Amino acid sequence: MALLEVDNLSIGYQTRNGTFQAVDGVSFSLESGRSLGFVGESGCGKTTLGLALMGLLPPNGRIRQGSIRFEGEELVGLPEDRMRTIRWRKIAMVFQAAMNALNPVHRVADQVAEAIFTHEPALSREEVNTRVEGLFQLVGVPKDRMRDYPHQYSGGMKQRAVIAMALACRPRLIIADEPTTALDVIVQDQILEETKNLQQQFGISIIFISHDISIVADVCHDIGIMYAGQIVEYGAREEVFETPVHPYTRALLASYPTLNGTISRLKPIPGETPNLISPPPGCRFCDRCPGAGKTCVTARPSWVEISPRHKALCHSCS
Amino acid sequence: MERDGHKNKTRSPQLERFLEGWSIFVQNPLGKIGLTLLVCFGLMAACSFIPPLLDPMYDPMTGVDPLITRSVGPSSAHWLGTDFMGRDILSQLLAGARVAFMVGVSAAVMSILLGCAIGMFAGYMGRVVDTLLMRTADMIMVMPTLLVVLILSSLFGQLNIWTIVLIIALFRWPGVSRVIRAQTLSLKQRPFIEAAKVAGASHMRIIFMHIMPNVLPLAFLYMTFRVTSAIIIEAALAFLGFGDPGTVSWGMMLQWVWKTGHMFRAPYWLLPPGLCISLITLSFYMLGRAMDEVLDPRLRKEAEAE
Amino acid sequence: MKPTTDLILRLEKVTKTYRTKGGRFGQAGSRVVALNRISLDVRRGEIFGLVGESGSGKTTAGRLVVRLEEADAGEIFVAGTRVPELKGRRLKQFRRKVQMVFQDPYQSLNPQRSIFDTVSEPLVIHRMGNGAQRREAVAQALKSVGLSPPEDFFLRYPHQLSGGQRQRVAMARAMVLGPEFVVADEPTSMLDASISAQIFNILLHMRDKLGVTLLFITHSLAAARYLCDRIAVIYRGNLMEVGEAGEVIERPRHPYTQALLDALPRFGQCGAVRRYNTLLGAERPASQGVGCAFYSRCGVAQRLLCSTQAPSLRELAPGHRVACHYAEGPEAGTATTEACFYAT
Ligand SMILES: Nc1ncnc2c1ncn2[C@@H]1O[C@H](COP(=O)(O)OP(=O)(O)OP(=O)(O)O)[C@@H](O)[C@H]1O
Ligand SMILES: Nc1ncnc2c1ncn2[C@@H]1O[C@H](COP(=O)(O)OP(=O)(O)OP(=O)(O)O)[C@@H](O)[C@H]1O
Ligand code: SF4
Ligand SMILES: [Mg+2]
Ligand SMILES: [Mg+2]
Repeated sequence: MALLEVDNLSIGYQTRNGTFQAVDGVSFSLESGRSLGFVGESGCGKTTLGLALMGLLPPNGRIRQGSIRFEGEELVGLPEDRMRTIRWRKIAMVFQAAMNALNPVHRVADQVAEAIFTHEPALSREEVNTRVEGLFQLVGVPKDRMRDYPHQYSGGMKQRAVIAMALACRPRLIIADEPTTALDVIVQDQILEETKNLQQQFGISIIFISHDISIVADVCHDIGIMYAGQIVEYGAREEVFETPVHPYTRALLASYPTLNGTISRLKPIPGETPNLISPPPGCRFCDRCPGAGKTCVTARPSWVEISPRHKALCHSCS
Repeated sequence: MERDGHKNKTRSPQLERFLEGWSIFVQNPLGKIGLTLLVCFGLMAACSFIPPLLDPMYDPMTGVDPLITRSVGPSSAHWLGTDFMGRDILSQLLAGARVAFMVGVSAAVMSILLGCAIGMFAGYMGRVVDTLLMRTADMIMVMPTLLVVLILSSLFGQLNIWTIVLIIALFRWPGVSRVIRAQTLSLKQRPFIEAAKVAGASHMRIIFMHIMPNVLPLAFLYMTFRVTSAIIIEAALAFLGFGDPGTVSWGMMLQWVWKTGHMFRAPYWLLPPGLCISLITLSFYMLGRAMDEVLDPRLRKEAEAE
Repeated sequence: MKPTTDLILRLEKVTKTYRTKGGRFGQAGSRVVALNRISLDVRRGEIFGLVGESGSGKTTAGRLVVRLEEADAGEIFVAGTRVPELKGRRLKQFRRKVQMVFQDPYQSLNPQRSIFDTVSEPLVIHRMGNGAQRREAVAQALKSVGLSPPEDFFLRYPHQLSGGQRQRVAMARAMVLGPEFVVADEPTSMLDASISAQIFNILLHMRDKLGVTLLFITHSLAAARYLCDRIAVIYRGNLMEVGEAGEVIERPRHPYTQALLDALPRFGQCGAVRRYNTLLGAERPASQGVGCAFYSRCGVAQRLLCSTQAPSLRELAPGHRVACHYAEGPEAGTATTEACFYAT
């Protein structure tokens, strides 16, 4: 049985102008010890998806349909007190820009200790302290810097501390939302290495969210390409990048500058993302798609299996 | 976020913010009560022109009921009664509303204009200009306004109502200018100001075209609080006998009650101006609080964005 | 247009130091050397890339060039005139020729002003054209950054635009006066990878069709390789390596540039990939003020020389200059063959 199974999940935000369909019919599953990456442009619903898995949608956000099964247990509609036993202890999240949210007036180590205390009040002071030390060692923050204040940390160290906090209760699944976006390449590289190590060492599953394909390609076994609230292509990383089939995936790859090969002109994707309050009836990518036909405009595409580990949501992929 | 802006393409952000702010504002109970009260006082001020037209004896200042020479209680001719020499209390009360608005709003507008200009200038120029202006502001801020006006009026005799307004304005700008300065300081760092500089904009252009529109909402908020304090100061002055003898204000009415020894004998005369002063200041205060709530999340949002 | 050797920007030993205020608890303020004796030439008609990590002084360099900031020492020439001396009318003329695009499109547009007001402002400031001509110029500028039909955008406000559209408006504002030289400060770092390509192509259009020279500031070597004719790599305010873009990226000579390349995700690279391993695992104490700026993290460094003597720029290949005592020949690093599954 898969660790996490999400089936046909749709999430809407109530706004003044109507329901904003931020996530629409998303399905995927994640085995324990594997990593899954979601790539897509800003606003495509990546964070919303992560928040829904944590049961932390904002007040105007609502799961409209679908199911989230974690270790066989249905999370949609789960009472809050039961959810609290799962959140942070089994599923943890590294929030987008969380490193800027460290409390400036408390020492970093104390903040991590606090996170442990909150969720496992039964532990003694010493147990917590040894665990905190272990965590900092794990994420590569020197021991003598543990008791510093956040402003004494560099961006990379803050991000490591935030990861330590997510690891505090030894979760089985970590959702990392753009964990390296604000960091320099060298630091980013170190954090990505760290992430891969953690995952292999402890068999933690990771959902890795980013708008940068190269990062996701570096870390994840499986990739989901998201566009306008939907997963449009899903599969093993090798297959998705070797033989991308969805026009959006191809367009995304063609707009990404790389470091070798001849320099060919990048091809930006024309147009804008659709308005998700009244999304187009057919394929959501149709008015930006070079190969869109009549059916694309009128009918919703269905999943096409390219190989057992690779599928795409497109009329013209078969 | 910006994606749901498609529908109202041509609405300016000012209008949109106003509409959004308005809907929050009217949902706020404080705002609702304050606004209702204020509308009542506005009506009173507007009606203050009516009684003297009906009969010269209803003139709040000079109209004396020929049949009455002392203070009497409510009657059909004088709904709220008369004062010690037979003037109609209701028409005085209505005229007082007009004066309160006049004093409150004009003193507030003047102090806001002054405070805004000085705050923006100090914040934008920085260095010596900033230090000088802000030290001056500090000095004025710690001076008790009432006391200074009292001293001035005992030096120069009775003060005209406009002089009083001017003095209140002159003493009430520092608070505003501090807030506007702080806002200007944070705006000054924003890249859109630097972009204007790179385009070649002059200092005046930057201050008036780029900084001012962004601090105005805050200035309006402060205006409501300033109105309150101006009305209170004027009432206190008048009550202490330093008001403009040529105008009827609520403070003046209270002074007459006190001076003629009716304080505890004529509740029909004492209560209306007393209540009015409390209620009008309360209504402006509530208005300000409600506006605070409208503006606050936006200010916070902008702070987060930085 | 082929880059000519005609210089448009020249920095000579430019130094800029910031003094930070003391902390709340009376700690003494500290000095940050944002730029340390940087010398650069930018040729007319090229895109010159300035690459470095966060805090390396890239923005500072850009701000000095457009005169939002004054240098502490050194000379800055733009088109032959000394920038720090400009005043009054001459400064205003300079502003017409030299423009800047800022990093954060969410902060660089005044939220209270419509797109037309924003883009036409430079025209108003420099009293150019009448109403109709200004409209025409604004429409032209918006079209050149791919916002069409331009009239649709005139009355919109920044909050009604996406990040990519905002950045394009900011570029239109910089272009509307027909400048000769534009500083683009990480114009895509706040935007998605997929939107960046649009911005890159507009920059190329500016160089090729409008003959604008660009100082392109970035932290991404891939973007620099795509866009730039020449690049300079800076580290903590020090110039490390400068040369033709392809040359620097394919045959980097400086350990720091090599470390940057090592750190990039291997995405899109296949076949022989060079690994340099020049980054030290654990940092060593920095050489205080003397010596090489990269000494504390450099895996190639030799204590005797690197910690005591600052390396000067040496020309190792035509036009390729490197500030390192131990910079090697082009065959540095070890070639590894990696699986090639991300071919695009
Ligand atoms: N509380 C909310 N109310 C209404 N709409 C919201 C809310 N939160 C997010 N949205 C909208 O939902 C969409 C998806 O947002 P989400 O934050 O999941 O995007 P994302 O993929 O994480 O983007 P980014 O890369 O910018 O972080 C966006 O268009 C956003 O405007
Ligand atoms: N106004 C200032 N006051 C004090 N220090 C400053 C100021 N501006 C910049 N600095 C410092 O100067 C150094 C260089 O900053 P700069 O903004 O030029 O870096 P950058 O290369 O543009 O970085 P980024 O990629 O983060 O934009 C940094 O250490 C920064 O902290
Ligand atoms: S000079 Fe020395 S320390 Fe500096 S980069 Fe070269 S080898 Fe490293
Ligand atoms: Mg997000
Ligand atoms: Mg910068």
